[in-house]
Amino acid sequence: MRAAATVARAAEDALRRARRIPRVWIGAGCVGIFILLLPLFFPLDGKSHADWLQFLGRFHPLVVHLPIGLIVVLPLVEFAGTRRQSFREAAGFLLQISLGTCVVSIFFGFLLAYGSGEIGTTVTRHMRGGILLAIEMLLCLAVRSSWLRAGRSRLYATLLTVVLVTLAWTAHQGGSLTHGSDYLTRYMPAPLKRVLAPSAVSSHPNSFFARHIYPVLDTKCVACHGTNKEKGGLRVDSYESLMIGGKDGIVIAPRNPERSLLLQKVTLPPTDPHFMPAEGRTPLTLEEIARIRAWVREGASPDAASVPGIFVAEDQEQAPPPVGDYREFMVEIRQMQQSPGAKLVPVSANPSDGLILRTADIAGTFDDAQLTKFQRFAPFIVEAELARTEVTDAGVETLVQFKNLRALHLDGTAVSGRTLGKLSSLSQLTFLNLSGTKVTSDAVAPLKLDANLRHLYLFNTPAEPAPTADSGARSNP
Amino acid sequence: MKHHPLCSDCEDKITPMDLPIPDGLKAEWAVSESRRQFLGRCGKVLGWASLATLFGEASVRHVARAAGPEPQAGFGGNTLGLPHFAPKAKRAIYLFMSGAPPQVDLFDYKPNLVLQFDKDMPASVRGNQQLTGMTSGQARFPVAPSHWPFSRHGQTGTWISDLLPYTARMVDDLTFIKSTNTDAINHEPAIMLINTGNMNAGKPCLGAWLAYGLGSMNDNLPTFVVLQTKTNPKENNQPVSSRLWSSGFLSSEFSGVGLRSVGDPVLYLEDPPGVDRDTRREMLDAVEEINRQTLAEVGDPETNSRIAQYEMAFRMQSSVPDLTDLSKEPASTWELYGPEAKEPGTFAYNCLLARRLAERGVRFTQVYKRGWDVHDNVVGMLPVLCQETDRGCYALVTDLKRRGLLDDTLVIWAGEFGRTVYSQGGLSQENYGRDHHPRCFTTWMTGGGVRPGVAYGETDDYSYNVVKDPVHVRDFNATILHCLGIDHNKFAYRFQGLDQKLTSPVPAFVVQGILV
Repeated sequence: MRAAATVARAAEDALRRARRIPRVWIGAGCVGIFILLLPLFFPLDGKSHADWLQFLGRFHPLVVHLPIGLIVVLPLVEFAGTRRQSFREAAGFLLQISLGTCVVSIFFGFLLAYGSGEIGTTVTRHMRGGILLAIEMLLCLAVRSSWLRAGRSRLYATLLTVVLVTLAWTAHQGGSLTHGSDYLTRYMPAPLKRVLAPSAVSSHPNSFFARHIYPVLDTKCVACHGTNKEKGGLRVDSYESLMIGGKDGIVIAPRNPERSLLLQKVTLPPTDPHFMPAEGRTPLTLEEIARIRAWVREGASPDAASVPGIFVAEDQEQAPPPVGDYREFMVEIRQMQQSPGAKLVPVSANPSDGLILRTADIAGTFDDAQLTKFQRFAPFIVEAELARTEVTDAGVETLVQFKNLRALHLDGTAVSGRTLGKLSSLSQLTFLNLSGTKVTSDAVAPLKLDANLRHLYLFNTPAEPAPTADSGARSNP
Repeated sequence: MKHHPLCSDCEDKITPMDLPIPDGLKAEWAVSESRRQFLGRCGKVLGWASLATLFGEASVRHVARAAGPEPQAGFGGNTLGLPHFAPKAKRAIYLFMSGAPPQVDLFDYKPNLVLQFDKDMPASVRGNQQLTGMTSGQARFPVAPSHWPFSRHGQTGTWISDLLPYTARMVDDLTFIKSTNTDAINHEPAIMLINTGNMNAGKPCLGAWLAYGLGSMNDNLPTFVVLQTKTNPKENNQPVSSRLWSSGFLSSEFSGVGLRSVGDPVLYLEDPPGVDRDTRREMLDAVEEINRQTLAEVGDPETNSRIAQYEMAFRMQSSVPDLTDLSKEPASTWELYGPEAKEPGTFAYNCLLARRLAERGVRFTQVYKRGWDVHDNVVGMLPVLCQETDRGCYALVTDLKRRGLLDDTLVIWAGEFGRTVYSQGGLSQENYGRDHHPRCFTTWMTGGGVRPGVAYGETDDYSYNVVKDPVHVRDFNATILHCLGIDHNKFAYRFQGLDQKLTSPVPAFVVQGILV
C-alpha cells in the first residue's frame, strides 16, 4: 500500500513537473525525436524522390555550419563561465539552440540524401554521425542541470569532449562527400602523405588503365561513383567495380566502345539530362574520351601497358625533382657559351631546372673523351644533346654518372647498344632517342622494361618495331 | 676651362694621343691629319655628339645590348635570362599559308549549310563587319556550302574535308584552333599583324623575337631561316616580302635568312676560283679588323651585326651543303614525303628541309606557301593548293614524330585570315568564290607544349562569328612564345620610349585550353 502510494505520489510529482514544462518544449521534443527516427521510417533506397525534397535538402550545407560554429564555441563559453556567472547562463542557451539547429540540419541533410537518392558508406556514416551528435547533445542538456548544481561532476565535461570528437568526424565525412575523399591529401607534402595517406597499391601500377584511365575516372567520376556516393549503384573507383557496372548493367563493353554505357553517357550533348558528369561538374575532355574509347576498343585490359595508336601526354604531376644550383660554375659556363665548342646552356632562368649539354656546333668532333670533361657538371645536366656526335658505347658508360639526366639524344651516333642496359640506373630518364643507330632489339630489351622511360625512339634501327600503317617509332613501354 | 683637341689654341698643351679616345681614331689622326680631314671630321663629330645628346646615354646602352654577342651580367640561356621557365619546345616550324585558306572548305565543318545553298546570309550574322572592295558592291550574299564532303577521322573523330586526306591521318596529333581571328581584312596588314603583332611595317617578326630572345642552338646555321615555296603561276599569289621576316628595331642579325627556292640555296657560298678557304679566312679577318675599327669609332651596333653575318656566311659555306645534301636520306623519307620532295622549291622539299634544319638546331624555320587567295575560283584552285601542301604537312609532322623530334618542336600551320561563307561573285553548283574574312579562321599546332587531339573554339552556323573561346592572333603569338618558355608580357625591348612586345600594346593572353 505504502509503496503504491509512493509510486502514485512520484507519478503525480512527475506529472506536475511535466506540466511546468511549456507545451512548446514537448512539441519540439516530439518533432526532434521524429526527425531522429526518420531514417528508420524512410530508409535511404538509392532512388531519387520528389524535387522539392532535393530543393530543400540543398540548404543542408548552408544550415549545417550554424550548429558547427555554436558547438565549437560552447566549451569556450562554459570555460569562461567558471569565471563569470553571465557566461554560464549564456552557455545554457547556447546548448539549447545548438541542439535545435543540429536537429534542423539533420532534417535538411536527410531530405538531401533521400531526395537525391545518394547512398554509399560515407553518406551513411555522415548521417549516423549527425544523429549520434544530436543524441550526445541531448544527453549534455540532461546532465548539465545536475552539473550546475553539484559543480564537480566530470560527466558533463567528458560528454562535451565526445561531442567535439563526433562533430569533427562527422564534419570530415561531410567534407569528403562534397569535395572528394582526397581533398585534404591531394596537395599534402610528400613525406607527410607517406605517413598519413599511403596510396592504394594497384596490382599493375604501370598499366595503361592505372596511368591513363583511372586518373580520369578519379577526377571526373569518383565523386559520385565511389565509396562516398554510389549513384546509380555504380562505382568506378577500381577496375573490378568499373567492370561490374551499375543498376543499368555493364558500363564498359570490352572491344565494343559503341555499346559501352559509360562512353555513351559522356558523349551525349551536354544539355541532355543523362549527360555525365552530371550537375555541372567538369566534363571529360575530347582527349580523355578518345583515350577511354581506344582502351575499350583494345579490350579494356587491366594490365596492358599501352594501347596502340593512342598518344597520352606526359603526366603533369610527376614534375622532376629540382637539381642543384649550378651558379658557382657560371663563369665557366659563360666562357663555354662565348667560344665555339660544346656548351652548357641553362634550361631556363630558374637554376633548379638544370643545364643542357649542347653539341650541335661541333657534333662531328665531339667524342667520348670530350664527354668525360663534362663529368664535373654531371649533377646539373638534365639533357644531353649528343645527336650525330662521335660518342660511342664508352660514352654511354660515362653518361650513367649523369644522375639527373632526363632526356638523352643519341640519334645518329655509333652507339651499338651494348652498354644501354646501364642507363636503367638513371631514375629520371624519360626520353631516349636512338633513331638511326645500329642498336638491336636485344640491346634495348632491358630499357623497354623501364617504366619511367616513356619516350624511346628507335626509328631507322634494327630494333624498330615492324611498321604498322602510319605509326611512327613511338613506343610506350 | 675644358681643353678639347679640336680647339686650336690648346693644341700645344695636349696631343690627341693622350686622350681617352679609341685607338683606331688615334691611328687615323697620326696618319692623315690634314685640314681637309679636320674639317670633314668636325661635321661628323658635331653630328654624333648632338645625336648622342638627343637620345641620351640610356637609349644607346639599350641598343648596344640588342646588338648581340657581348656578354652581359644577365643569367639564363643567354644574356637576357630567357627562357623564363622550362620550355616544352626548343624550336618551332611555322608553315605559313599566305593568301588565307578557306576554313569552311577545310576544317570548320558546317553540315547545315547545305540547306542554305544560295540563300542570303542573314544581315544580323554579318553585323557591322567591314567588307573588302571586292564584295562591298554585291547585291546579295548567297551562302556557298563547301563543295567537298567532310568525314570523321582518328580517335577523336575530327571532321576534316576530303581535300586533305593526309592531314586527316594525323588529326589526333593536331591542336585545332577554330576561333583564330584578326583585325585586318586585307593581306598586307593582316600578314604583318600575325607575323609582327602590328599592321604597320617596322616591327620585328616572331622569328626575330625568338632569335633575339632565345639565341642560336647551332652557330653554323642561322637562328631563323625562311623557306619560300616556288609559286604556281596559275594561283593568285599575293606578294610576301622580307618585311615579314625582318628584325624591325632589333639588330638585323636576328632577321630571317632566306634560303632560295631555285638554284643554289645561298648565293655566292662557294669560294670563287683561285680563292681557297684559308685565303677567304684571311680576307674575313682583315675585313673584321676594319669593321671593328669602325665600330670603335662610331659605335653603330649594326657594325656588330655585319661582323657576325660575315662569320655566319663563312660557317655556312660548310654547313649549308651538308644541310641540302639529301643523298643520305633513307628510302622511308621519300615514301613519306613523296617524289615531289626531291625537287627543290616544292612545299614537300621545304618541309623536308625544315625537318633537317630542326635536327641541326635551327631555332625557327618559317615555310611560306603562297597562292591561297582563291577569290572567285574556289572549286578550281583549292584542290590544287591542297594537293601541293597536304602531304608535306603530314610528312613533316610524322617524320618529326618518328624521329623523336616532335616532343621538343612546335609545328604551326596558319594563314593571315579566313574566307567568307558567302560567295564572292556568282554562285553555281559548279563553282563559287570566297572573300577575305577576319572574324574567324582555323589554324593548327602540334608538338611540344600543345595538347594533341583538341579542337579549340567554336564558330556560329555560318562560320562567320566566333561563339566560344576566341583566339586573337596576338593570343596565338602569346601561346607560341609560352610553348617556347617565354612569358610574352615580360619579353620586351625598349624602342621609341615604349616597352615594345610582340603582343603589345593590346593585352594578349596565352590560350591555356590548348596547352599540355
